[in-house]
Amino acid sequence: MDLERNQKIAKQVERWDLYARVTPTAFLVSAALLLIFDIVSQETVMYIGLVGFSFTAVVWWWWAIFTIKYLVTTLNRASKGISEVTQEVKSVTADLQDLKNDT
Amino acid sequence: MTPKKYFLIKAITNVISGLSMSTLIILGIAYMSFDNAFVFQDVKIEIVNNPIKKHDDINFIMIGSKKHECASTQVYGIAYSEDGHMHRLDKFTKQYTRNTRPGEPIPNQWSMAVPDDMIAGGEYRVSMTGDFICNYLIFQKEKSQTYDNILLIVEPQH
Repeated sequence: MDLERNQKIAKQVERWDLYARVTPTAFLVSAALLLIFDIVSQETVMYIGLVGFSFTAVVWWWWAIFTIKYLVTTLNRASKGISEVTQEVKSVTADLQDLKNDT
Repeated sequence: MTPKKYFLIKAITNVISGLSMSTLIILGIAYMSFDNAFVFQDVKIEIVNNPIKKHDDINFIMIGSKKHECASTQVYGIAYSEDGHMHRLDKFTKQYTRNTRPGEPIPNQWSMAVPDDMIAGGEYRVSMTGDFICNYLIFQKEKSQTYDNILLIVEPQH
């Protein structure tokens, strides 16, 4: 379950990476073309940019919050597991030492 | 695709995307600053020959500085009499200097004929309005600015 979700997050990170690399240039080029051919006004381009920027910021913010929350939970669980294993190893080592001393 | 080529493409797209983002942010801020700016700053308009005698024109003087390159497309005044009547002032007998340079306070003056419906005379408050086309970097925008409450005193014209 965790592995599946981890892979999902890795894919989402890849998508964000691609989005961050492509969107600014794509928007700049398309806005320039729309303005050169007088299809939209400068004000419209400005508003489209603002809406796109705000939408991206909000979506990214919530995605980051949920992902960090998930990662922290996973990290805590892993840390707890490692701690338990360490305790058990210590206990087994002590038992082995006792056994060694008895013999 | 070899790893070297992949990393090279990734680095190039990162640089292009960074430059595009910077350009978008700089142009966005520049546009907002241009959009919110008034045409004239530190502006003062006065009528210098109050009271206006018979056959005289109304002489205006103005001083102000422009932040951006702006050319006027239409300039007119509305005179409000004390009884609430409106009189449009748009008959220039002496033209103002158009398209004054931006950045420094430049005096400007013009004269307007007394409208026919102002023949009775009296005291008026004039609002001068200018419509402009302003340019800044790659941006162009139509703007309008009004200067209110210019005192006009007209003597009876008959």
